[in-house]
Amino acid sequence: MGLALLLAVSLLLPPQGKAAPLDELRRPSIDELYFLIIRDNDAQLLALEGGQIDLLGDIARFSDIKRLSDDERVKLYLAEGYHAFFLGLNLRRSPWDRAELRQSLWEAVNRRQIVRDVFGGYALPLFSFLPPASPYTLVASTSDFNMKAARERLRQKGWRWSKRGVLICPGEDKPLPKMKLLTPTAQVAPTTAEIAERICESMRSLGIPIETEPMDFSMMVARLDRRDFDAYVIAWELSRDPDSLYAFYHSSMDVPGGYNISGIRKPDLDEALESLKYAANEAEARLAAEKVQTLLYEYIPQVPIYSRYHIAALQNEWQGAIASLYMTPDNTYSLLSLRHENKKAFYWCLAEEPRNLNPLSASSAYEWQVLSVIYESLLAVDPFTLEDVPWLAESWRLDTVSKGGKEKTRITFKIREGVKWQDGSPFGASDVKATIEFLKKSAIPRYFDSVKDVERVEAADNTLTVTFSGKSYWYLHQIGGLPMLSAGVLSSLKDWRRLPEEDIIGTGPFSFSKYKPGEYVKLDKNELYWRK
Amino acid sequence: MNTLNNYWLRRVLSSLLVIAVVLSLNFFLFRLMPGDPTGSLLDPRFSPEAKQELLKSYGLDKPLSQQFFMYVKQMLTFRFGISFMSQRPVWQELAERLPNTLLLLFPALLLSAVLGTLLGVAAAKGRGRLTEKAVLLSGAISFSFPSFFVQLVLLLLLAHAFPIFPLRGSLSVPPPTGFWNLLVDRAWHMALPIASLVLLGFGSWALYVRNLMVKVLGEDFILLARAKGLRENEVLWGHAFRTALPPIVTIFFLSLPGVISGAVITETVFSLHGIGKFLLDSVLGHDYPAAGAAFYLMSLVTVICNLLADVVYTFVDPRISFRRLR
Amino acid sequence: MSFWRLDTLFLAFLSLLALLTPLLGPVNEAVAPPFCKPLWLDHESGKPLSLNAKDNSLSFTWESKPPKTFSVKGTVTFEGVPKSAALLLAGPSKTYKLVDLAGYRNFDVDIDSRDVPLKLFLGLSPFVDVSNVIFSERGAYSLFIASDVKAHLDLNLNIYTGKWGIFGTDQRGRDVFRLTLAGIRISLLVGIFATLIASTLGMGLGLFAGYLGGLADSSIMRGVDVLLAIPTLPILVVISGVWGRGLWQIVFVLSIFSWMGTARVVRSLTLSLREAPYVEGLRALGAPTGYILARHFIPEAMPLLLAQMALGVPGAILAEAGLSFLGLSDPLMPSWGRMLHEAQVFGAFTSGAWWLIFPPGLGIASICLAFISVGRRFEEMADPRLREMAER
Repeated sequence: MGLALLLAVSLLLPPQGKAAPLDELRRPSIDELYFLIIRDNDAQLLALEGGQIDLLGDIARFSDIKRLSDDERVKLYLAEGYHAFFLGLNLRRSPWDRAELRQSLWEAVNRRQIVRDVFGGYALPLFSFLPPASPYTLVASTSDFNMKAARERLRQKGWRWSKRGVLICPGEDKPLPKMKLLTPTAQVAPTTAEIAERICESMRSLGIPIETEPMDFSMMVARLDRRDFDAYVIAWELSRDPDSLYAFYHSSMDVPGGYNISGIRKPDLDEALESLKYAANEAEARLAAEKVQTLLYEYIPQVPIYSRYHIAALQNEWQGAIASLYMTPDNTYSLLSLRHENKKAFYWCLAEEPRNLNPLSASSAYEWQVLSVIYESLLAVDPFTLEDVPWLAESWRLDTVSKGGKEKTRITFKIREGVKWQDGSPFGASDVKATIEFLKKSAIPRYFDSVKDVERVEAADNTLTVTFSGKSYWYLHQIGGLPMLSAGVLSSLKDWRRLPEEDIIGTGPFSFSKYKPGEYVKLDKNELYWRK
Repeated sequence: MNTLNNYWLRRVLSSLLVIAVVLSLNFFLFRLMPGDPTGSLLDPRFSPEAKQELLKSYGLDKPLSQQFFMYVKQMLTFRFGISFMSQRPVWQELAERLPNTLLLLFPALLLSAVLGTLLGVAAAKGRGRLTEKAVLLSGAISFSFPSFFVQLVLLLLLAHAFPIFPLRGSLSVPPPTGFWNLLVDRAWHMALPIASLVLLGFGSWALYVRNLMVKVLGEDFILLARAKGLRENEVLWGHAFRTALPPIVTIFFLSLPGVISGAVITETVFSLHGIGKFLLDSVLGHDYPAAGAAFYLMSLVTVICNLLADVVYTFVDPRISFRRLR
Repeated sequence: MSFWRLDTLFLAFLSLLALLTPLLGPVNEAVAPPFCKPLWLDHESGKPLSLNAKDNSLSFTWESKPPKTFSVKGTVTFEGVPKSAALLLAGPSKTYKLVDLAGYRNFDVDIDSRDVPLKLFLGLSPFVDVSNVIFSERGAYSLFIASDVKAHLDLNLNIYTGKWGIFGTDQRGRDVFRLTLAGIRISLLVGIFATLIASTLGMGLGLFAGYLGGLADSSIMRGVDVLLAIPTLPILVVISGVWGRGLWQIVFVLSIFSWMGTARVVRSLTLSLREAPYVEGLRALGAPTGYILARHFIPEAMPLLLAQMALGVPGAILAEAGLSFLGLSDPLMPSWGRMLHEAQVFGAFTSGAWWLIFPPGLGIASICLAFISVGRRFEEMADPRLREMAER
């Protein structure tokens, strides 16, 4: 019943930036873009208040939020994201193999109180397996926090409690043995350790004797890989597409190192996941996503806990930010539309060192904040509707062709004309072909899965045709989201891990100018940018 | 002559042995930690095959003995390889950060040592008077406060409440042009970190030097010098301080290795791009090449400084010179 | 009372506190909402309120500054299914609809002023403080149901002023005062044990190296060199990775890396004592090595050793504080360094919450000062020349 209030968020969040159709975006009015590297939270806040930075993203501490909300020079923005925090269980071990225990666990965790106490209210209690910003999310009709109902369900299935309040499995006489909840340490994520403690408290109230075991993140991952755990907590940055569900819940991914960490193996779930992964078009994808999630609500291999809001702050003097329910103003579209009365230099706060400004090997979100302003892809995402928007590709067409008895997806892109690389050379279908083939040939880990099913790429004039070895609706996003690299740069590249600074050349609105490690990255306006 | 040459030969050999032991220890210690460099790249889009590709590109799929030989070769030829986390050459990462750390810690060490020594001498000179009490008290206080506490309070006071100094970094953005402007800007940024380190560091120097000087001033030859009618200042500086100088210098040399390794907290608080934080992050991130190279560098410097300290002491300690004559 | 006797009294007092702290109860439990200010800090804030409403409505007055947060929890039962129903909070001049109850026969109410959906429902920005808006006026308030069907309430209204205790609460709602007291124990334990182990190790190895000479001496000295060449911090990270974080892991690592100084000093003392005539005499009489070391050398070395120990304790305490500050310690261990780490990470420095910062910081400084002055007295015992002279 309380859920009625929750759903209201999506409907009532007022539009925060102008819903400018993306066609109206012009080339940037900013001449110089500085990414100032400030790692310390306090320093970031003070820098924003002192006017040394114009944009601060990913504000997490609610003491900072409170302070900034009182500051009139700064405007705060809020967006739902693709973040999802889960309580994971090891279904290979007792007592987690019992469905009723998992269902009761769902109801035993007071997500709302966690969000209030730990985040001061600035997070979304999560009741779904996909993040709130995903267009495919199906919200559960199962109930909210209800300890009484949770205990009642267990009682009806034959569970008892010992004198000390510990659960006893039906059919056994000894209470459950002590268990451990693996969690990253507070140094990595200060709030995660907090939340883990509270989850343990809830579990203990239900009767599960469990305590936290904080450990270094990569060590925790090693334990998870070895399947040596009872329960754990982890946060994921998911994406718009639901195909990551395959990696989490398909039985073939239950191998050491695979992402089916919970160990769920259900044939009907496998079937639904396969039809999701290999859906031929959007309609099939939606149907499959719904089926998968319905089954997940029954089996509950993991318990979703919360999803973080993204909160960002922008100096009021800068007008024209593009922000929506799904995106805070720290995005590339804003950079194209922000305007100031007299300033031409914009200062963006980067929270971590972007050590590796190489789109082939960069792996952290911070590196990509910089790189996504320099490099562009064939498709972009509309910040208001989350639909695909033409970018370097003017249009595209999906077909399913039959070859050799097998059904294959074929995508034909019409490449935009008049686009130039930042070094002046023209951009064309041959560059796209070169990019895709280079990524595949060099087996670059980050793009391995995106291009591994590419069978053939043909480039003619400004048309690009990609044929895959199988059928899947998600190929469009996988190819559409690749950063485009110049064929010239790729052909002279000896080692993909080392991209010299002068070869950081994209088609984006800003070009690389300078990187002073520990201090800043400077980008200059691209005078040759294709948008007028 | 022979005995002295033998002594140095043995010293150098044992230093080499130390380096060898430390090298091997470094290698095995990191690999002892469960987990691997791909652990931090948790991303559902990374299939198990992609992870294997990544491990292969790091060279981590080869057998341990082969990795060890590659490691030793790299260290001895100072070709440290590519950092896992940033995919850039390790020496480049080190070269970027070393100047910042040196710029921070070397002046701090020098100033603490000089200030502490002067105060220690003043305390010994003013025995029983207020000077001594004041130096002892301030020295003890300087030693007792945790560094991050003092630094954060200073930052809040002098960079936020009264914005005299900059909040972070070692340079303004964009940096000013012109040699003198650059120098002033650098100095302005470094002022607060260095000042905090000196405030926290002079204490142990002052206390140590005071103890040393008091002991020396109680020696017979000082009594003799005074009896000869020399001025107090001449006795203090010309005789007592000169005797106390060798151990002070030795300690200075032994503190030098700390100049490279001792700055993690300061670098964190003032957002400085230095080696301390680099080492910590590399170890936590299982970045074996980077962490191994940084460790190696620090160990090398420590061993060299120990040798240097011995050299200084040998030249100055009369007993050893005696042996030479025999 | 001279300053130098104050220190032993202070340490005795602290040890007493450390022994008695467990009586205060568990430290790691939340006792109040997070980030409460100390009680004595702000006098305008009014008192927290907790009321229970039965039947139809609840009335109260609020005559102070707007509270920090408030919550309404409980159940509403209707005698039928209402077509229009709402829970309202009425102030002196405005009434606010908190939640729509239409269409449900039973409703579990769980409203907190921090909830973003509530803010949006009230038409406010998600960054606004709801209690500031609703309780902006002083006067009479009432909480009631307006519906077309009769309703029964069982609601609890709680108003929090955000103040608690002597030093307030931290981000988990734990009592900071209790944590500060509990930190004494940790600091004393780490400082004393790490130094004890390091000194014993250092003395033992120093004696052997100095007395036996030869291979034993050079191998021990090489060991010293190797350990000096390894930076402490990364080793601790590795060890905590393998063995987990904990009090004894930190004690172990600190002791392994601090015995070298003592060993060197003891070794040089032993070297000089070894040449003393009376030792030669003892050896000539056939005294075993152990006897000579135990009965003669150790008592000689004792004052020096005690001085080293007393001065080593602050070093260990500061090292542990530094490690905890970087986040490398056990989160459940209430060490002062950890308190400062959490204070910094959760924004206490920038929000000026000095009551979270000064108790642990000054605590560390005062314990270290006390040990230093005790150490100095031992130093003076070992070498009377160092005694602070009386006023001339």
